[in-house]
Amino acid sequence: MKKLRMLTLLAAASAFVVAISSTAFAGKDLKTVTFATDATWPPMEMVDANKNIVGFEIDLMNEIAKAAGFTPVYKNTAWDGIFAGLAAGRYDAVLSSVTITDERKKQFDFSDPYISVGQILVVSKSAGNVKVLADLKGKKVGAQIGTTGAFETKKVAGVELKTYDEVGLAFEDMAAGRISGVVCDEPTAAHYALQRQEYKAKFKIVGKSFTSESYGIAVQKGNKELVALLNKGIKAVKAKKIDEKLKKKWLR
Amino acid sequence: MMITDNDNKTIEVGDGAAIPTKADAGLFTAWRISFLGAVGALAYLVIAKPDPYLNILKFVPDGIVVTFKVTIGAILLSLLLGLLTGLGRISGNRFFNGIASVYVEVIRGIPLLVQIFYIYYALGRVVHVPDMLSAIIAMAVCYGAYMGEVIRAGIQSIPKGQMEAALSLGMTRTQAMGHVILPQAIKVVLPPIGNEFIALLKDSSLVSILAVSDLLRRGREYASESFAYFETYTIIALVYLIITLILSKLIGLMEERINANR
Repeated sequence: MKKLRMLTLLAAASAFVVAISSTAFAGKDLKTVTFATDATWPPMEMVDANKNIVGFEIDLMNEIAKAAGFTPVYKNTAWDGIFAGLAAGRYDAVLSSVTITDERKKQFDFSDPYISVGQILVVSKSAGNVKVLADLKGKKVGAQIGTTGAFETKKVAGVELKTYDEVGLAFEDMAAGRISGVVCDEPTAAHYALQRQEYKAKFKIVGKSFTSESYGIAVQKGNKELVALLNKGIKAVKAKKIDEKLKKKWLR
Repeated sequence: MMITDNDNKTIEVGDGAAIPTKADAGLFTAWRISFLGAVGALAYLVIAKPDPYLNILKFVPDGIVVTFKVTIGAILLSLLLGLLTGLGRISGNRFFNGIASVYVEVIRGIPLLVQIFYIYYALGRVVHVPDMLSAIIAMAVCYGAYMGEVIRAGIQSIPKGQMEAALSLGMTRTQAMGHVILPQAIKVVLPPIGNEFIALLKDSSLVSILAVSDLLRRGREYASESFAYFETYTIIALVYLIITLILSKLIGLMEERINANR
């Protein structure tokens, strides 16, 4: 009797494992494309009050998918490790405000760029007269781990970089006075510094963005089919100027 | 009133099996195999494939220092908290007993990661505390509760007769606690506290979530730029393993000395 119960348990457990793994590796026919996105990067991608993933990039991808003829599925994934997951094939692509850089191009293939942004510095109002990042020598500056903001900050000698798992934690730490500045993509900086009521009184944006970067969708190296599909959609959306409309909706 | 033989009162240590004692003369103890294996694997990887392994190893040393700083700071602070909590838990004073018991229950009921997040950001709203100190405080508050329970158990393992004998000699309760009970209890609790020390060192990797640049954080920073996730975590795991094995060896030696002194 006991043996039988053990066997049943074992069978149930293995069925469970099979069920999980089959859902994880389903959908390789490009009718549905799974995108990993770190939904902590407002207003590009974030989780709204109804637990839906929303944002500029989500709206844009829905339009691209409509034009190219596939169904997008979004998977909220932590940024740190999002590329490791792509390399391991846990999803088809990364749609998460990914700047196209030479280092990333060595590891992954990218779609055509769909928007250009830049890095910008946000400081607390008590920081005094700060014009560029180099003015914060000897002070701590925060950025999200593995982002171009972190890489740019590291380049400036004398500025101590602190890396956070989420950019929101960096802003919260600046509100607590532990760091003097935060470097991130301009739209996100604007969201935190100008739209969040609790931060509006404390933070200010320094000048204009100091880099010029293009976002692309990252896919596994050699996945030419998917790149072609995405590029087709991006082209169609740009031709209809849908991206401009969405910029007005989501960005300042 | 019977006074029991004190020599039998020890608390078993979980890591004990892996640590060679003097009686354990064999060359291939579990500890030796793990330690030599870890050092050997690390040396092999670094020499055979300097790119990326040597680069990773060169990237993390300041992280190791931070890990030690956080661990030692937290262990000292949590010992203090633990002693107060342990004494509070056995105190006849309802007020102190209540505070200590609630503290232990609350802390044990919340996951360590949540506590660390909470204490770090809650502290930031109230007072201006540097990041490393906040991380140390967060770890110490968490571990203080566990230390308190270890110390309480240690004190309670000392036979009641000891306290009664001290009181009958005319000592006050405080004197009896300080001169008779605690010195004996310390011998009992040192090994489990050593164990907590190792656990704390490992859990200190959780503070990397607070942007404290410890060993794990440095590794993640390296991986995020190079995309060498597997290689980086291999090195990080080996470094942690080597550090904790050395620590467990030290604790084993300390235990031996305490037993020899009895």
